[in-house]
Amino acid sequence: MGKILESLPLTIVAGVVLTVIMIFVTDAIYDSQMSAPEAAISDVMNNM
Amino acid sequence: MDTELFLIRYLHVLSGIMWIGILWYFNFVQIPSMPKIPDEQKPAIGKVIAPEALFWFRWGAFFTVFFGLALAWRNGYLVEALTLEQPNIGFGMWLGLIMAFNVWFIIWPAQKIALGIVEADAALKPAMARRAMLFSRTNTMLSIPMLASMISVQNPIM
Repeated sequence: MGKILESLPLTIVAGVVLTVIMIFVTDAIYDSQMSAPEAAISDVMNNM
Repeated sequence: MDTELFLIRYLHVLSGIMWIGILWYFNFVQIPSMPKIPDEQKPAIGKVIAPEALFWFRWGAFFTVFFGLALAWRNGYLVEALTLEQPNIGFGMWLGLIMAFNVWFIIWPAQKIALGIVEADAALKPAMARRAMLFSRTNTMLSIPMLASMISVQNPIM
């Protein structure tokens, strides 16, 4: 980790990677909070 | 009510720009430039510019968190965000809290020793300067997802 943080470009890359991970985790949390009917509607909407 | 929320959000954003602006100044400008500055000119940075920047940096961090928490509380989503029931703003809040903790309890104490603001063993200064730099870089890294999270509240990414 220290090697990444010593380099500014690698620090930025690590920040972007964390951002992508955060986006997918956020999406997964929202999905897990949906009730069954909401999930079904969401699936239909996503497949339109 | 609307005016109050506007004012709190405005102060949150102003403080945040102060904080993250100086964080990025340190990481994108000052730290990479230090090796290029002649030794006799370095005290201008270490004794004048850095202590002044650190003052606005740490209080910017404090007021960003203060007004951010006030905004979440007044809008009624403070607990939902902190428990990640509302993860889009929740991740941003937690990253901001971790970053502010780093500023006040790791970077600032280390910089006080590294810059000679408090009395300390001279042998300790390089280690403290490195600690401050690494945690400042950590905050730069965390600022990228933190800002994405804050913006995603108004403009969802997915």
